[in-house]
Amino acid sequence: MFVSQSMTREVVTIDKDADIYEAKDKMAKHRIRHLPVVGKDNLLVGIVTDRDIRSALPSRLLQAYESGKEASGKEAKGLSEFKIKDIMTIDPVTVSLSYTIQDALMLIQKIRVGALPVVDEQKKLKGILSVRDLLSAFINVMGIGEPGVLLCIIVEQKIGQMEKIVDAITEEKISFGSILVARYWEEGKRAVFPYLLTQNVAPVKRKLKKMGFTLLDPMEWWLDKLPKTK
Amino acid sequence: MRKTGFLYDERYLLHDTGPYHPEVPARIQAVYDGIKNGGLLSGLSMIKASYADQMWIEAVHNIKYIQRFEEACLSGMSEFDHPDNQICPKTFETAMLAVGGILDAARLVMNGEIDNAFCAVRPPGHHAEADKAMGFCFFNNVAIAARYIQDEYNVKKIGIIDFDVHHGNGTQSVFEQDPSVFYYSIHEHPSFAYPGTGREFEKGIGAGLGFTINSPMLPGQGDSEYKNIIENKFLPAFEAFRPEVIIVSAGFDAHADDEMSGIMLSSEGFSWIMKKIVEMAERYSNGRLISVLEGGYSLERLPELSKNHVEILLDK
Repeated sequence: MFVSQSMTREVVTIDKDADIYEAKDKMAKHRIRHLPVVGKDNLLVGIVTDRDIRSALPSRLLQAYESGKEASGKEAKGLSEFKIKDIMTIDPVTVSLSYTIQDALMLIQKIRVGALPVVDEQKKLKGILSVRDLLSAFINVMGIGEPGVLLCIIVEQKIGQMEKIVDAITEEKISFGSILVARYWEEGKRAVFPYLLTQNVAPVKRKLKKMGFTLLDPMEWWLDKLPKTK
Repeated sequence: MRKTGFLYDERYLLHDTGPYHPEVPARIQAVYDGIKNGGLLSGLSMIKASYADQMWIEAVHNIKYIQRFEEACLSGMSEFDHPDNQICPKTFETAMLAVGGILDAARLVMNGEIDNAFCAVRPPGHHAEADKAMGFCFFNNVAIAARYIQDEYNVKKIGIIDFDVHHGNGTQSVFEQDPSVFYYSIHEHPSFAYPGTGREFEKGIGAGLGFTINSPMLPGQGDSEYKNIIENKFLPAFEAFRPEVIIVSAGFDAHADDEMSGIMLSSEGFSWIMKKIVEMAERYSNGRLISVLEGGYSLERLPELSKNHVEILLDK
């Protein structure tokens, strides 16, 4: 669950003296929105995003560029002299290789960015972790890349409930893709979501009901119903 | 009345899935009994199972996979690729007989000896991938039939309609890059049901973009939501495509009484859907339609559902 395992290692970067059009071409070619700006020895000096470029370019020129027409005139010439170093974010927030995915999730939510450059102690660029990389990590954790069925079981919040559920499912020789436990809108209860890697869930559903568990249609569960946090 | 073929063979009972499995031989006995007790047998052209020529299976599956499957069965293994896929020494043979029977039904339809056919086969097929068994399926029966019809009868455009409550991931992956086969699937939403694919944004790849359509339905939805989607999405899509032959992956597990899903179709709902499909076959495909059993696990409901299904094929 470390950043080093989920980040993109082959980072597309740009030089601080490159012009805006070069950055735009690189983003379009690689279908990315963030370019770390590096100097000598791959040292991180900044980051430039597609939004930085959009804000820097007058919309008329941007449209001309995007429709593939050559921008013309004095204004265009002036823009190609507009350098990355003029629009980049200097000293962006970075994470280190030993950050966990959870760290990165919390940080990205807090500072509202789309990607975090990953650097070593010398500030050398080692990778980049984008929201997209985090989503892949999440899909992985949830196990939903593999075929299976999601159950939702409402349990009393007391010791030993999970054990019963896991035992009941294991006895049926069903493998788990994941188990998520979430808050539930009734006090003293929890919602347990086992993602089961099988098509054959009817027998285990019957068994869990017989054991006294309430099976909720996952459809009926949504976050809005949770008790408001104080 | 139309001339309808009915593929059924007691050898389809030989695939034994053990004591704790819903895909049991009694399923197709229930199908057969429903059709028999409905007095329909005498009006049907009976088709018996025959062994498929392996070259047609190779049109969809890797040869190594076929060999691996045969070896697993003959060596007495009890499961193949996943515990969902229970096998016995006769499973390979049964799967070969299923494909062979379906190809015979396709041949009769293509030669004009019958108008359409219902193939009550086991094991089912639509989850089977080119190199992997999944969800009780080993050979992708409908995908093999589509390739057979295309190659043997020089047919350009085939439409596959899959109303089994689970997404036919195998069928989709065979044809998702191929604009000559239109795959339409309506099924329970993959966030709530097996196999976790068939999301609305899966629309085909490359040249096949737009020739796959998935309509995921939410648990609890039933007749009225299905009717709405079929009228507004499915029928217009097929009107644009105009298939020369229609193949149906007929699964009956979206029935309200089938515990394999949360979808709440009624028996009348199934009939309404099938009537629309048959009407469409009349309009674009000269009536040529081959319906192949996929899932459907309620032994109480299968007799009436299959009887209704065949009555609609017969236009009785």
